[in-house]
Amino acid sequence: MKQVIVHPERCVGCMQCMLACAAAHSKTGSLFTAIAETPKPRPRIHVGAGLYDEGFPNRCRHCDPAPCQMACLPGAIYRHSRTNTVLIDPDVCINCASCAMACPYGVIRYHADPLAPAGKTVAVKCDNCVARQHRGQIPACVEICKVGALTFEERDRAMKRRTEEVARSATADAAPPEQAPGFSLLHTVKKARTEINLAR
Amino acid sequence: MKHVIIGNGVAGLTAAETIRRMDPDSELTLISDETFLPYCRPMISHLLEGAVPAEKLPIRGKNVYAQNRIEPVLGARATTLDVDRRVVTTADGKTHAYDRLLLACGADPRQIDAQGRDLENIFFMRTVQQVRQMLAVLPEVGHALVLGGGLVGFKAAYSLLRRGIAVTMLIRSGYPLSMQVDETAGRMIQAVLQANGLTVRTGASVEAFEGNGRVRMAHLSDGTRVSCDMAVIGKGVFPAHGFVPADRIHTDAGILVDDNMQTSVSGVYAAGDIAEHMDIARQRSWVNAIWPEAVSQGRVAGMNMAGEIVSYRGSLSRNVIRVFDTDVMTAGRVSPRDIDETCRQFSARDLRRNIYRKLVFSDNILVGFAMINDIEQGGALTALIQSRRPVEVEPERLMEPGFNIGRLMAR
Ligand SMILES: Cc1cc2nc3c(=O)[nH]c(=O)nc-3n(C[C@H](O)[C@H](O)[C@H](O)COP(=O)(O)OP(=O)(O)OC[C@H]3O[C@@H](n4cnc5c(N)ncnc54)[C@H](O)[C@@H]3O)c2cc1C
Repeated sequence: MKQVIVHPERCVGCMQCMLACAAAHSKTGSLFTAIAETPKPRPRIHVGAGLYDEGFPNRCRHCDPAPCQMACLPGAIYRHSRTNTVLIDPDVCINCASCAMACPYGVIRYHADPLAPAGKTVAVKCDNCVARQHRGQIPACVEICKVGALTFEERDRAMKRRTEEVARSATADAAPPEQAPGFSLLHTVKKARTEINLAR
Repeated sequence: MKHVIIGNGVAGLTAAETIRRMDPDSELTLISDETFLPYCRPMISHLLEGAVPAEKLPIRGKNVYAQNRIEPVLGARATTLDVDRRVVTTADGKTHAYDRLLLACGADPRQIDAQGRDLENIFFMRTVQQVRQMLAVLPEVGHALVLGGGLVGFKAAYSLLRRGIAVTMLIRSGYPLSMQVDETAGRMIQAVLQANGLTVRTGASVEAFEGNGRVRMAHLSDGTRVSCDMAVIGKGVFPAHGFVPADRIHTDAGILVDDNMQTSVSGVYAAGDIAEHMDIARQRSWVNAIWPEAVSQGRVAGMNMAGEIVSYRGSLSRNVIRVFDTDVMTAGRVSPRDIDETCRQFSARDLRRNIYRKLVFSDNILVGFAMINDIEQGGALTALIQSRRPVEVEPERLMEPGFNIGRLMAR
C-alpha cells in the first residue's frame, strides 16, 4: 500500500503543499475559486520552522495505534483500512480538543471546514486525500512538491518501524512482551538521542 | 475460560472488545448497574448544555453486546466479591463465577457533609441519568449553585451558564482548577468565566441547604447565604471499590495494579478510574481518572486476561477544556501542590492575545505544562513528558509562538 512519506531534509519551505492541500479540500477544488469560498479552505499540512529555522513539513502520520483515536471522546476518529488512513467524522466530532492533547506531532487544527456541517467547528487533519485516491489521483501535497520532500510510495520496513516507534513512545499503551517497557523505553531514548538535537 | 467484567464504562467495554478479538471462544459477562448503552461520560456536560442530544452519547452501536458475544447483566450492582471461590454476587442475590475478573467500576462522586443534603434539586454529575434529572428541572431553575471548582464543577457551571442560568461557583481554594493549573492560569480562567456572567466565591463551603422539599438557599461557612433553586456537587470522585475485600486486594486510593493491570490477587484485574498505577510525571503510584487512560488500561487488561502478556507503561494526568472561546490544556505536574525543590519552572504570557504558557521541569525532564489558548501543539509536549527524554533545547523555545515538533528534531 502506498503512503505519503515526508523527507524533511529536502524541504525548502516553499509552502506550495499547503496551498495545494487547501485547494484539494475546498468545495470547488481549484485554487483560483477556493480563495473566494466560505469557510475559507485551510491546509491540513503545515510547514513550520525546524530547529535551525529550516522548512519543516508536518502532517498526520496515521499512526497505528493512533493516540488521537484512543483519546477521542465521542469516537469520531477511525481508521480507513484500505488506505491505512486515520479519519475524523465531522458529524460526530464535538470539538473537545482531546486529540490535540494526544497527537505527538501537533497536526490537528480546529475550524469550520467545507466538508463539515455548515458553521460547525471541528477537528481537521490530513485525510491522505482519500477522495482523490479514489479517483486514481495521488495526494495533492505530493503532486505539487517539486523537491521530493513529499513522496507517495510503498513504505519500506524501516520507515514503518520508525513511525511506529514514535507512535508507541508517545502512547501510554501496550508494547509486545519482547519489547516490554524497559527495553522499548531504552530503545526510544536511544532513537530520540539521534532524532532530537542534544547538542544545544 | 470465563471472563467477568464489572463496569460497562469505557475501560470495561474496551477490555471486553479486546478479549473478544483475541479469544473468540471464551465466555464473557459484563455486569453493570447503569443500563444505558456504553456512552461517553465526559459528554454528559454537553448534554446538560444542550449542545448534543442523548442519542449522541453512546460510543458503540445498539448491538454491541451481541456483536461481541458479551452476556450483559445490566441494572445489577456487584455487592460482594469472594476471591477464594471466585464468585461475584450482585444486589439481586445472583452469583457469577469467573476464571478471570476485571474490576472496571470507575468512581463515585464524593458526598458532602451538609445539612439538608437530601433536598430535591441537589445533584451529582456523573451519569447520564443524573443529567436527565437535571434537565427535567431546568425550566424551573433561575439560579444554580455549583460546589467545587474542579473539572466537573467547572463543566457544570459552564453548561448552566450556556443555558442562560445564573451560576454561583463555590471554591474552597483560591482559584478554579487548582489541582490542574497554577495560580496565573487559574485567575485567567476565572476572569473568562466572570466576564461571561459567572459569580465565583472562594474560600467558602456549604454548611447547610434549606428549602421546603426543594432547595432554596445555601448557608455558607463564612456566615453568608446564597439563594439557589438547584445545586450541583462537584467535590471530586473516589474509586468505587467499596465492595472489594481490602484485606485481600491491595488498595491505596485506588486498587493497586502491576504492569499487567493485575491486582494483588492472581486472576483479578483492574482498569480505569478505579485503578492505581505508576504516574509518569510524578514517578509514584497515582490514580489518573481520565478517559484516555481508561481506554489504554482497559486494552492492556483485556490483552493480559486473554493470555497475551503485555505491559502498561504508566499514566499521565492531563486535560483539555474549552470554555467561551478560551482553551486550557494541562498535563502532569503544574499545580503548586505538585511542585518541589527539584522543579524548574518557566512561564510566558501574552496579555494582548490572552495566551499563557507554563512548563515544569524536573532536572531536564519535562514533567508538566499548562497552556491557555493556541493549544494545537500541546500533544508534542505531552509526548515529551511521556517519553521522559532529557530536553536539551532551551525551555523558552518550547514556549515560542511558532513552536512545533520540528523544533525538537535534528535533520
Ligand atoms: C462530567 C464529566 C466530565 C469529564 N470530562 C472528561 C474529559 O474531558 N476528559 C477526560 O479524559 N475525562 C473526563 N472525565 C472522566 C472520564 O469520564 C472517566 O475517566 C472515564 O469515564 C472512566 O471510565 P471507567 O470505565 O473507568 O469508569 P466509568 O465510566 O465510571 O464506568 C464504570 C461503570 O461501572 C459501574 N459500576 C460501578 N460500581 C459497580 C458495581 N459495584 N456493580 C456494578 N456496576 C458498577 C458504574 O455505574 C459505571 O457504569 C469526565 C467525567 C465526568 C463525570
